[in-house]
Amino acid sequence: MSQHATATPPATETHQEPSYLAVSNVTKRFGAATVLDTLSLSVGRAEFVSLLGPSGCGKTTLLRLIAGLLAPDQGAIEVGGRDLTRVAAHKRNIGVVFQNYALFPHLTVAENIAYGLRAKGVPKAEQARKVENALGLVRMEAFADRAVTALSGGQQQRIAVARAVVVEPSLLLLDEPFSALDRKLRETMQIELRHILRNLGITSIFVTHDQDEALVMSDRIAVMNEGRIEHLGTPSEVYARPKSLYTMEFVGQSSRITGVVKGSSESLVEIDTPFGMIRAPGHFLTGSKVVVGVRPEAIAAGEGPAGEYNTVRGTVAEVIYFGSRTLLHFQTAQEGDRLHVELNRLPDTVEPGSAMTLRWRVDDSRVFPAPTEAAR
Amino acid sequence: MALFGSLFCRLILGLVIAFLFMPILIVLTVSFSSSAVFAFPPPGFSLRWYASLGNADSMLQAVWLSTQIAALSTAISLVLGTLCAIAITRGMIPGAKAVATFMASPLMLPGLVLGIAFLQAARDFGLRDTYTTLLIAHVVITMPFIMRTVLASLSLFDFAMVDAARMLGRSYPAALWTVLVPNILPGFVSGGLFAFIASFDNYPVSIFLVDVRTKTLPIQLLNQVEMSPDPTVAAISALLILGTIVALIVCDRLVGLKRMASI
Repeated sequence: MSQHATATPPATETHQEPSYLAVSNVTKRFGAATVLDTLSLSVGRAEFVSLLGPSGCGKTTLLRLIAGLLAPDQGAIEVGGRDLTRVAAHKRNIGVVFQNYALFPHLTVAENIAYGLRAKGVPKAEQARKVENALGLVRMEAFADRAVTALSGGQQQRIAVARAVVVEPSLLLLDEPFSALDRKLRETMQIELRHILRNLGITSIFVTHDQDEALVMSDRIAVMNEGRIEHLGTPSEVYARPKSLYTMEFVGQSSRITGVVKGSSESLVEIDTPFGMIRAPGHFLTGSKVVVGVRPEAIAAGEGPAGEYNTVRGTVAEVIYFGSRTLLHFQTAQEGDRLHVELNRLPDTVEPGSAMTLRWRVDDSRVFPAPTEAAR
Repeated sequence: MALFGSLFCRLILGLVIAFLFMPILIVLTVSFSSSAVFAFPPPGFSLRWYASLGNADSMLQAVWLSTQIAALSTAISLVLGTLCAIAITRGMIPGAKAVATFMASPLMLPGLVLGIAFLQAARDFGLRDTYTTLLIAHVVITMPFIMRTVLASLSLFDFAMVDAARMLGRSYPAALWTVLVPNILPGFVSGGLFAFIASFDNYPVSIFLVDVRTKTLPIQLLNQVEMSPDPTVAAISALLILGTIVALIVCDRLVGLKRMASI
């Protein structure tokens, strides 16, 4: 059911400017395995786009193709109107921040940053000035003469960013740059890096398997699955209006209730589920097997007005307490189904076994064709 | 009891060290002997055997030949071995493990077998030039030493650094030269040192390949001992010991013996 990603974003999205990075119909195979399948992606100037997906979805391969460290079997890659498909990596002027930063341990911090300037033959005096600027950008001025091996993970990341941007690349690629950092530092660095890159106005492609990271940092997210882009959209589009069940389940928490379409009217379908009739926006033939998805925070306790809301009754199976919020798992009748509800304030009496009435807006329900047995 | 055990261990340690050093000390002493034969302890002190080295043309030629062969074969092995090691570590070739073992196999074969094989092969290929034959054979002899240390160094090397260098504007060869080479320098130096020594004092392979005019130092030394066993050979040996010490000091200054020993 996964449709091919289209080169141009749908009309509902606001990015209509001519694309700066254009990946068109790129296919990459390793032996018998097709890692990228006629994939297209277009990114506007100064945009920050995340490639989000599980390991093996092809996101790192796509990054390496753009960098020129791999060559595509088919398709073309253009940056700023220049066809780079057959251009060697070292002539592309694309910056990369690698997963483990790949700093050069035999050079000092300043020498690491100057490496690209030296390679490009920038005069010595200008090198020194640019290195200093770059160190200032990442607030590491005091560390110029240190050994990179003496730096902490966060500091190494700053140097890696400085080294990549000091040569003023036409595009910056980031390969899971936060995976080596602990959670607290990661959150600080995410915001800081986003700030730096926005100030520089540099077009960035960011590879991650962490949905939170993608949601926090991106202008747009490309959710990838099995060598294709499942959904390309802004973080809120991807989260609130996922185009596929895969996107719904990969990004964020969700409930999932399988049912059969009983009827449809205008733009609504009525679905017969073990929880009773559920209505959702969409167009499906009567009799189709479908899956209803709802975000856990869209569900509230208690009944709602019948026209706008779906109301169901369920039995609590598990109560998971997070402090500021509580997650309730409800019992479901079918295998693979789940009903997860996130509440900020919990009714006093809720415990496993309690019965509860739940409601959510019809508009907050998403319907997808049920995956075939083979696809699951 | 514990005291006795500790004393016993120290005694054994002392004896082993003495055992290892004794031959070297004897050679050094004899080289300063005034006697015309190998006599220990020497009857008196003199520098005549060092002075006589100036006239020992065939010996000096052998030193020069061995130095050339050792230096050239080590250099060739360093370049070829490193490139092979990169291909093996990066999994660019099928059966990489088998290839690595094969490249290191000359170390496990008796030198005599290799020597006979080279003699036969050189004949079959019509290779008449002794110098070239020796050089090829010594590349094979030195290769395992380079392979072993360079493979070990590469297993600790993050190849993303080479990618990083390429993305910063260096071609692949330039990236290897500016990033890979400085980072695995200790491996190069220790591998190179062992390779040089293995070539320099190789006897069993070279003996099959030399001719009357082209003799490597070990073969020339043995000839000399057989024909006129005077302390000239001791003087040569003493100079070789000195040369080794100098080489070790230089390596220590260059990369540190500790880093070399850890590979």
